[in-house]
Amino acid sequence: MDLSPFIAMVYRQVKRWWSARSRVITTIVNPLIWIIFLGLGWGAVFQPGSINSPSIPGIPVNVIAKTIEEYFNRLFGGVDYITFMVSGMAAMTVFMASFLGGISVIWDKQFGYLKETLVAPAPRWLVITGRIVGDSIVNTLQSLIIILLGFAITTRINPIGIPVALVYLFTTSIAFSSLGVIIALKLGSIEGFQMIVNLLTMPLMFMSGVFYPVNTMPDWMKVFAQFNPLSYSVHSVRYWLTGANVGLEYMNPTIDIAILAAAAITLLVVAGWAFNKATVED
Amino acid sequence: MEAVIVENLVKRFKDVVAVNGVSFKIVRGEIFSLLGPNGAGKTTTIHIIATILKPTSGRVLVFGHDVVREADIVRKKIGIVFQDPSLDNQLTAYDNLYVHGRLYGLRGRELEERILELLEFVDLKEYANKQVRYFSGGMKRRLELARGLMSNPEMLVLDEPTIGLDPQSRAKIWDYIRELRRKYNVTILMTTHYMDEAEELADRIAIMDHGRIIAMGTADDLKNMLGSDVIYVKFDREVPEGICKVLPSLRDCRKIGVDTLELLVENATKSLPEVLSNIYVNGYRIVEVSYKRPTLNEVFLHLTGRELRDSLESNPLTQRRGRWR
Repeated sequence: MDLSPFIAMVYRQVKRWWSARSRVITTIVNPLIWIIFLGLGWGAVFQPGSINSPSIPGIPVNVIAKTIEEYFNRLFGGVDYITFMVSGMAAMTVFMASFLGGISVIWDKQFGYLKETLVAPAPRWLVITGRIVGDSIVNTLQSLIIILLGFAITTRINPIGIPVALVYLFTTSIAFSSLGVIIALKLGSIEGFQMIVNLLTMPLMFMSGVFYPVNTMPDWMKVFAQFNPLSYSVHSVRYWLTGANVGLEYMNPTIDIAILAAAAITLLVVAGWAFNKATVED
Repeated sequence: MEAVIVENLVKRFKDVVAVNGVSFKIVRGEIFSLLGPNGAGKTTTIHIIATILKPTSGRVLVFGHDVVREADIVRKKIGIVFQDPSLDNQLTAYDNLYVHGRLYGLRGRELEERILELLEFVDLKEYANKQVRYFSGGMKRRLELARGLMSNPEMLVLDEPTIGLDPQSRAKIWDYIRELRRKYNVTILMTTHYMDEAEELADRIAIMDHGRIIAMGTADDLKNMLGSDVIYVKFDREVPEGICKVLPSLRDCRKIGVDTLELLVENATKSLPEVLSNIYVNGYRIVEVSYKRPTLNEVFLHLTGRELRDSLESNPLTQRRGRWR
């Protein structure tokens, strides 16, 4: 098996990312905004120590504040909200960036580069796999940047867990990049793609446990969360980065990686199939 | 042995027939040009030859391999330069060739040497590490030529190689095309809607219109169809019935367009006075008279009743359907 076409595409995607470093900033700024405003904003709400807490006669105010804070910390798996957010945001960065890979497929369609890859005497699935893997390397690197920035915001991130978390993030990226490519190949226009992706990303994001724990969600939402690969990514990445185990009872890092890998392989196969059917006609 | 054999090729898109029963052969080592207006089916034809479209019916062999059943073998043997630019603007010239080379299975030193050799050939070596988005149209075209040659193809397919370029850049691209045929010994299949380009480069030309080949041969063969001179007579109204019968001995006489008559003669300067006086004698009024030594434009006009130039500009419908070209 000649892996040359695969390497060609990985090289291309990584090199493109590197040559457009200004874009890297945009992909990082977005999660940073979530972290700063939502994380710090809500973080203070869940730490009532600094604010006047409701007083109960006979119990000192600081004890009440402490109790409330502990209650929330228990909900967030033993960490404060900002740590909870930052660790979830690592997964969300990969998730959002993965769909941008789909947009680049549409750009390639419009700028004619797709033809260049379609006419190559290489197996199509190998070409598209190279592309998705290349994007996933980039996405994982971006997520690593977010994690490292997280050190400036919270002290609760465990550096030893980072390499393991990156494996989970990479797998997550393969799954969602494949999904992005599938949607992009089926839709011709950037507008159509963005519409579908917006309809898809927001609910998936809110039903994954990035912003609040999965186990306190309403039951119907839990059902959706169970079928959302991102839930497993958020759960496992948070687990490896902070030790917080916030999720449905059956979730554990082994099950997480099994489900993520299954999703990644399935979607990758579908992407390969879609690319195989692609022609210059559409 | 033939490089390409096309037999009865038909390609239908929904309800539009883009290619309608085309047959031709390309000899190894020649430059073969499909000439015709936009929408004639040229690009569709070469896309089928390059395996990126599947024919509706008919058979295409490239170096003896069927383009449908043996697409992978065909792809290894050809290099293609698309009509629209298909470079990655965010990569450098070197990286564009590198990625292409790897896609075609090249690697290591061999790949590196090939890249440098071809960048040198198209005079872009000093821009090797510049991003392509800073390149001019001509430079991009040259880089695409180099990319088409990366895999050392036996045939290079060029779709409108000089479209949108200024005259100097066009002339330069022509030089490269002639030179690369000599140096790399490749067969070249090209499409163009520029008559001068076909005449300048091609050993043989097939004129296409409405999905069919309407004439084929060397530029001289085609022009000889019309003899030595062509006279055009434009009347103040519709061309009168039976006008040809009253005119003196001509090689051919036919109506092209509503009010224009085309006359083929051995020597226009000698025939003109007699032609004109015969028309006057019969009481018809002439608005315009012109005569030319035939070029490919006159050939196209002779065959289709339309000027190649006109059919490029006057038909917005076919232009919008550009993807079928």
